[in-house]
Amino acid sequence: MSAVPNKQPFDAGRAAYLTLNFMLLFFLLAPIVIVLIFALNPTPYISFPPVGVSLRWFEKFFGSSEFMNALWLSLWVAGCVLVLSILIGGASALALARGNLPGRAFLTAFFMSPLMLPAILTGLALFQSYLLIGIGRPVWGLIMAHTLVAVPYVIRTTLAVLHNFDRRIEEAAAVLGASPLRVFFEVTLPLIRPGVFAGGVFAFIVSFDQFPVSLFLVVPKGETLPVVLFNYMKFDLDGAIAAASMVSILLALSVVLVLERLIGLKAYVKL
Amino acid sequence: MISRRKALRAGAGLAAIGALGAPAIAHAQTATLKITTWGGKWGDIMKATVLPAFEKEFKCTVSADQAFPFMPKLQTSSKTDPLYDVFHTNSNEQWSALTEGLVMPKITAKEVPNVADVYAYAVSDKIVGVTIFTSAIGLGYRTDKGLTKPTSWKDLADPKLAGARGGYLIPVNSLGQAHLMMLGKIYGKGLTDLDAAYKALEQLKPIKLVDFTGQMEKMLLSGEVSEGVIHDSGVYRYDGQNQAVEFTSPSEGVLSLEQVLNVTPGSKLKELAFGYIDYMLRPDVQKLLAEAVWYSPANRKVKLDAKYDEKLLTTEAKVATLIQPDWKWYNERKDDIDARVTKILKS
Repeated sequence: MSAVPNKQPFDAGRAAYLTLNFMLLFFLLAPIVIVLIFALNPTPYISFPPVGVSLRWFEKFFGSSEFMNALWLSLWVAGCVLVLSILIGGASALALARGNLPGRAFLTAFFMSPLMLPAILTGLALFQSYLLIGIGRPVWGLIMAHTLVAVPYVIRTTLAVLHNFDRRIEEAAAVLGASPLRVFFEVTLPLIRPGVFAGGVFAFIVSFDQFPVSLFLVVPKGETLPVVLFNYMKFDLDGAIAAASMVSILLALSVVLVLERLIGLKAYVKL
Repeated sequence: MISRRKALRAGAGLAAIGALGAPAIAHAQTATLKITTWGGKWGDIMKATVLPAFEKEFKCTVSADQAFPFMPKLQTSSKTDPLYDVFHTNSNEQWSALTEGLVMPKITAKEVPNVADVYAYAVSDKIVGVTIFTSAIGLGYRTDKGLTKPTSWKDLADPKLAGARGGYLIPVNSLGQAHLMMLGKIYGKGLTDLDAAYKALEQLKPIKLVDFTGQMEKMLLSGEVSEGVIHDSGVYRYDGQNQAVEFTSPSEGVLSLEQVLNVTPGSKLKELAFGYIDYMLRPDVQKLLAEAVWYSPANRKVKLDAKYDEKLLTTEAKVATLIQPDWKWYNERKDDIDARVTKILKS
């Protein structure tokens, strides 16, 4: 007697689920693939299908002092914003969650308000304010502006962690004789760290890719990469734009991967 | 013999004179002229050659802003301490700036001696400030698509070009705005005949629209469009690169796309600002920039190399073909025009 093959019945729901997932992935990844194709296409204009593979646009990007200065400035500003956002956003989230502050809902909305305002208006308003108080457009002004729009991300992710936080762990540490400072550094901070750093990653990426706020706050010879790319595009729309976009994507991805290795962002995702 | 007391007194006196004089000297040595300027090849030449030479000669530094948008930044800054001393834009924005009192109405030979040598169009009643270069807006076309060379603006409406003709997002691009006015002239009573222009615009559909001239260049180069509205330098800059794209000046005339310099009334460095404009109008500087980016120089005395002289607007007869739009008139109606053309083109 031969064995009857164990045939799985066709599952229409599962097929639809997989199709939808595939379509979503395609929707998210297709632009990146297209940018990569343009970056590797040697023609002096963006065209499809590509006529070959060349690194000339990457060479142009890395060989241009204008692009390199802008890239390093963007990285430096984003690094500062990451640190400041973590400090300000983390502390603010703790105060909002634990501080029993009067008008807590109003304060939360206040801290989140930069996300609700069009960024171009934030940039224009800050530009006008800086000129009015006579400080011009210093780099630290740009960093503060980016921090303003990046802090809400850290607050939001940290608040999410604090919402699920089991305070009995802190109480147990205190009962066992740990000082409040020790409880904070050895219990609270390690537990909220994934949320704070996930917000920090957002802050870094928001700053690194920030265009509308930077538009009014950069100075000649002190322009960030998105502003330089925008101006470049007006005069020279070639593959260097696509190469720069690939470098930006890879840098943002690297930051996420490094932070995942260092602090384990997956822990936050599980929460 | 000079006593110790006298020597100290004399030293203190010299120090005091030095201290009094120091701010003026320091100011003269460290004056920073704030200007707007273009990016791309123009920006490269400016940064590499033109501006360093100016800084050396005038013993100053130049802070050149290439980051758009210039106009909102100037509007936001104080009129008595403007963000820019010299405002470089196309003509349409100069008119907007004049309306708000942000730039001077005219630059004359009294302030800038080289203005005496410019073509009439550079200081005409259609110009605020002074034109330093111009380009001719005409038609760019592919030579490998079996098209006959266009000779008229009307050729852009050829049904064969449906979906393969290129234009601009009129609300944001001055070439698109100028072309709209030209449609009024070609199909109606003149540049201000908007009804005729709207009707003609309808006939150009389907048309591929871009917001920057750089995009139009690339669409022509890639063959995405076969014919489009473009300025001559956007095609001539690929000279010698074996590209199947040419520029043609329609028989009805070409539109003028002026590069205009102006001084802000509140500038603290007006003399230096005028000096900069005069410098930019010098024949040697004009020749350098004109041959680098294929712009037609405004100074009549400029002698370009034969290759450039043949194609650019370098004689009285050639500049006579330029048509200058009335940007004051256009800007006053811009909101209504934007709404109307958006309605026409969005379908």
